[in-house]
Amino acid sequence: MEPDVSIESGCIIRIAVLPIGSIPQVQLRDYVSMLVRHNKVELSAISSFYTEHQKSPFANQPWETGGLRFKFMVGGSPASPWEDFQSNRKILAVIGLCHCPSSPDLDVVADQFATACKRYSSALVERCFAFCPGDSQLEDGGKKGNNVVLFPPADRQTQEFHLQTMMQDIAASLLMEFEKWVLRAESAGTIVKTPLDSQASLSSEEVIKAKKRRLGRAQKTIGDYCLLAGSPVDANAHYSTALELARLTGDFFWYAGAMEGSVCALLIDRMGQKDPALEEEVRYRYSSVILHYRKPFMQDNAQRVSTLSFELEATLKLARFLCRRELAKEVVELLMAAADGAKSLIDASDRLILYVEIARLFGALGYQRKAAFFSRQVAQLYLQQDNSLAAISAMQVLAMTTKAYRVQSRAISSQSPNKEIGSTHADAGKMHLQSVVSLFESQWSTLQMVVLREILMSSIRAGDPLAAWSAAARLLRSYYPLITPAGQSGLASALRNSAERLPSGTRCADPALPFVRLHSFPLHPSEMDIVKRNPGKEEWWVGSAPPGPFIYTPFSKGEPNNSNKQELIWIVGEPVQVLVELANPCGFDLMVDSIYLSVHSGNFDAFPISVSLPPSSSKVISLSGIPTSVGSVTIPGCTVHCFGVITEHLFRDVDNLLLGAAQGLVLSDPFRCCGSPKLRNVSVPNISVVSPLPLLLSHVIGSDCAAILYEGEIRDVWISLANAGSVPVEQAHISLSGKNQDSVISVECEALSSALPLKPGAEVMIPVTVKAWQLGLADPDNAAGKNISGNAGRMSKDGSSPMLVIHYAGPLEPPGNSAMNGYVVPPGRRLVVPLHICVQQGLSFVKARLLSMEIPAHVSENLPKPVYLENGSMEEATVPDTKTESLVKINPYRGSWGLRLLELELSNPTDVVFDISVSVQLESAKDEDSSTFVDHDAADFGYPKTRIDRDYSSRVLIPLDHFKLPILDGSFFAKDSQTDDVTTSRSSSFTEKSTKAELNTSIKNLISRIKVRWQSGRNSSGELNIKDGIQAALQTSVMDILLPDPLTFGFRLAKNDTTQVDLPGESNIQLKSPGSKGSILAHDMIPMEVLVCNNTREMIKMRLSIACRDVAGENCIEGNKATVLWAGILSGICVEVPPLQESKHCFSLYFLVPGEYTLVAAAVIDDANDILKARAKADSPDEPIFCRGPPFHVRVIGST
Amino acid sequence: MIVCVAVVGHQNNPLYLQSFTEADDALKLHHIVHCSLDVIDERVNNPKKTGPTLNETFLGLLYPTENYKVYGYLTNTKVKFILVTTDLDVRDADVRNFFRRFHLAYVDAVSNPFHVPGKKITSRTFADRVSDIVRTFGLGTAV
Repeated sequence: MEPDVSIESGCIIRIAVLPIGSIPQVQLRDYVSMLVRHNKVELSAISSFYTEHQKSPFANQPWETGGLRFKFMVGGSPASPWEDFQSNRKILAVIGLCHCPSSPDLDVVADQFATACKRYSSALVERCFAFCPGDSQLEDGGKKGNNVVLFPPADRQTQEFHLQTMMQDIAASLLMEFEKWVLRAESAGTIVKTPLDSQASLSSEEVIKAKKRRLGRAQKTIGDYCLLAGSPVDANAHYSTALELARLTGDFFWYAGAMEGSVCALLIDRMGQKDPALEEEVRYRYSSVILHYRKPFMQDNAQRVSTLSFELEATLKLARFLCRRELAKEVVELLMAAADGAKSLIDASDRLILYVEIARLFGALGYQRKAAFFSRQVAQLYLQQDNSLAAISAMQVLAMTTKAYRVQSRAISSQSPNKEIGSTHADAGKMHLQSVVSLFESQWSTLQMVVLREILMSSIRAGDPLAAWSAAARLLRSYYPLITPAGQSGLASALRNSAERLPSGTRCADPALPFVRLHSFPLHPSEMDIVKRNPGKEEWWVGSAPPGPFIYTPFSKGEPNNSNKQELIWIVGEPVQVLVELANPCGFDLMVDSIYLSVHSGNFDAFPISVSLPPSSSKVISLSGIPTSVGSVTIPGCTVHCFGVITEHLFRDVDNLLLGAAQGLVLSDPFRCCGSPKLRNVSVPNISVVSPLPLLLSHVIGSDCAAILYEGEIRDVWISLANAGSVPVEQAHISLSGKNQDSVISVECEALSSALPLKPGAEVMIPVTVKAWQLGLADPDNAAGKNISGNAGRMSKDGSSPMLVIHYAGPLEPPGNSAMNGYVVPPGRRLVVPLHICVQQGLSFVKARLLSMEIPAHVSENLPKPVYLENGSMEEATVPDTKTESLVKINPYRGSWGLRLLELELSNPTDVVFDISVSVQLESAKDEDSSTFVDHDAADFGYPKTRIDRDYSSRVLIPLDHFKLPILDGSFFAKDSQTDDVTTSRSSSFTEKSTKAELNTSIKNLISRIKVRWQSGRNSSGELNIKDGIQAALQTSVMDILLPDPLTFGFRLAKNDTTQVDLPGESNIQLKSPGSKGSILAHDMIPMEVLVCNNTREMIKMRLSIACRDVAGENCIEGNKATVLWAGILSGICVEVPPLQESKHCFSLYFLVPGEYTLVAAAVIDDANDILKARAKADSPDEPIFCRGPPFHVRVIGST
Repeated sequence: MIVCVAVVGHQNNPLYLQSFTEADDALKLHHIVHCSLDVIDERVNNPKKTGPTLNETFLGLLYPTENYKVYGYLTNTKVKFILVTTDLDVRDADVRNFFRRFHLAYVDAVSNPFHVPGKKITSRTFADRVSDIVRTFGLGTAV
């Protein structure tokens, strides 16, 4: 059998093309390519070379339209035993090709050519074409015979023309030879033999039969020559005769041959026409041909030689003729019949050719799967031949089947034009239709694995390590679930073995393991945040941040923002990371020698890393790299160096695979079977690389871990900012964010702004003052406060610390090309510096109470200095609250009537000692710290602080006597009094709401002046936040604290008679301390004065009365047992005191009995105005306003 | 005797393939079924939209090969049923009847709420039913 047969092959002249001498491969190929172009020579073109020696037997030669056809058999071919039967099988001409520069001696060439020609006895024309001869050879060439034709060196066009002429010459010679042959055969007859004819001695009957047959066979052969000579009409005439004769003699084999020839003649005659009638004719005749070829086979079954191959060839010829979509069924039947016949073929190479042809025809028909099936048969036949060339052929044939079986190598599929590599990430979401189909078809795993295995086997045998590697990689990657662990290891070792034969650094288009998918793009760490810069605004970062906590806002609906295409900005020179997940679902340890991001845009340096993956495991690894130039970066996948070969693993492939796995189309999800959780489909964002930006790095000086502060502690934190980028910082702005922002008391923004521009490498320090916030009740830290107090290194919870947000940016325009158009302002950055503060529970405030203290003053000659000048006494009471009086640092003669004390109860749950200091800021005086600190031990009054030991609680007293206003001012009072909750109905002009607000304001004003500071250890100090507690304590009695009494009373001895005017103090306690003790004696007239001071702006008229009581509280002036005598008026004294003045009333007392007495002054105010009434909280307008002074003690000493 | 039946999805993905021979020729049958898709594809892509064959689901003899005959059936959802038999003279009516019953079995199998469309049919009931249909093939028993 021969490949490539068709009906028309009966009219093709075979020419052997033989290289003569040594010809370089390239030259030979070149010459052959020039030659094969002349596979048809028109008869009209050869008429000039043709000379009619005798009358041509080809009477009906179509000189205008016909032509001779050639088939060039490069390298020649052995003579076929059937060449007498079908003359077109003969080699009718020999062309030698000679490259003169490599074969200098033309004689040798001529000899070699002559020798070569001897093998082709059937050759009628022999020529040797010698190309590129030298000058000397050209001279020699003239002498040689016709056989060597020299092609003078010339340009290609000339050479081609020359060659064409030569071919026309050959054609003419052949035609003349054919004529000669036919004439001879017609006259003398010819003896044709086929292997079918018995070689043994013939019986007489057979000899006669053979003689009869010979005539028919001769006619058939002449017909063949007519066909070769391009004269179908003549051929047809001879074939008709031959058919008749063969039918008569029962020479079915030749009958079929003649029939075939006649069909060929018919087709040549009707060149180009394909009408159904012709087709029907051809079909009819060929089925007869096939039938007749089968006949001798069945008849002479005993014979060794079978004519089956002719039958099959005829079948293939018909199939090729009919090979069209519309006739597919017919063709399939023919081809299947031919395939069935293949089993009876003895010669393996015949079978090979048959399968090749069948596969080709199926392919031409569009039956790719059947073509693949037969290609596989071909490959198997090749593999049965035990040589590497056959193995290479098998490999190549199998490679052709991979498309039909969808196990194509990426190297082949990427060559097909309809697949674009460029759009890798653009449509990552939607899958290619092609890839969907391939996923579906990939379920023919049984077949696919077989094909891949065969490719692997054949490529190993063919010695093509790369093909073997690729096949093993495809097999392992796609079908690992169907391969046993042992088989997987076998494939792995096949991969390694193949790689050993490959040069290092070989790339293969087909990825093996591991499976690589994109995991995520880690966000920039907070210190590298990039913020788009709005050059139009002063605050350039505003509006660039996401607009709020909402993922979706209806207002942004109009914007064409496709959410899955987020933008990512990378910066030249700053390393970036991408997380990818690797999976090794196989049962062996996978060692990835290196893996790195594969970027085709060329502006990215990827850093390779090596990974080891245990069996059935997956791993998320971080791949890093550095963008090198501005532009956009696309990351289609990873480049992996594994099993000795470099491959590119595209993310898209794995995405498709996983999608297929989700739909049940693919065998298994490699990640899921490795125990990796299901991952959302990660879309590759648009990555753009921008020019370098400044980069600020921050650290807290001292310690980077959290500062542990007690509640209310105030501390300075120094933050150092260093520019680690390569561009100076030119703009910077500090703002606060996060929780507990108010705990940051001050940030020295000036320190930063004055340091601008901050050059690369420069550093600046920013002091920040923070005050630890109050732990909320709901805060779990509060409950755990005691436990964690020893845990010093604990970081604060991220949520609660305030953060400094620093927006900074480099220059607006790049240096140099400032005038560049369309330049995009480089983005700025945001640095978030969390102030790690760990707040521990410190001193805790238990409660506040308002206490009043009433200690009567002693009457003496002098009025004491005003209280506030005398370091307003303060005392405190601690746990043993019983001895309060003994601890009072107070002048007992001065007295303290109506003194209000704020008692704060504090407890210390911590394990350190706190020192408390209280300061009250006075409005009138400038004294910052006018309070005295009393230790609860009471031993040392001068000790300035209260110390509270761990796990103790203590009370701190704060005198509130300095808050009195000096004057009971109408306006102030009107405001204040009416704001009181318990105001009378007269204050109806104000709404309840506003009065409350006013009250709160005044309380706040008061509270803000009381500061409780604490100190613990050497360097922690702070302030106690007790405002709420104080407010609660003061709420009801604020008026008494703030407002002075309208009248103040004081007593003093009028001994030296100085008219010392008591300054209108703001206190209602007019303390009088005796100038000398024991100066009041019994039985002596004691002159005394009572001082009444008017604290209002109105004249006050009153009736003053003075009472004196003894220790028992009895009135000792009036009554039966009066022990005190008096001179002057003691009751009903009408006094008028001008505003802010005081008046004096003198009287004398005579004490009969020594002892303690108490003097009290009281007054009833006449015609009280509204202010006074309000101050006295009078209920009815008619009610008299009664004022009572504080009691004064008088100690009367006996007159011994 | 039926040697193989197969269900092939509308994307030419095999959904079910069962051979009924003892011999180890599963691969061969796979190939036969796979190759028959060529013919079916052609008929799917170039339907002869004429008269009575418009809704014809039975594709008839797809192709004869070696010792087998391959018949096809195409549902209106483009799921293909393929029958491979060794019987040389098969009555068309038998094959039609077979496919009709097979189609019913298939519809029942894919109506299973636990069946994922596009996945291979793994139902044992379906397999039992199919082998039952195969066993009674050609016996002339009506359903």
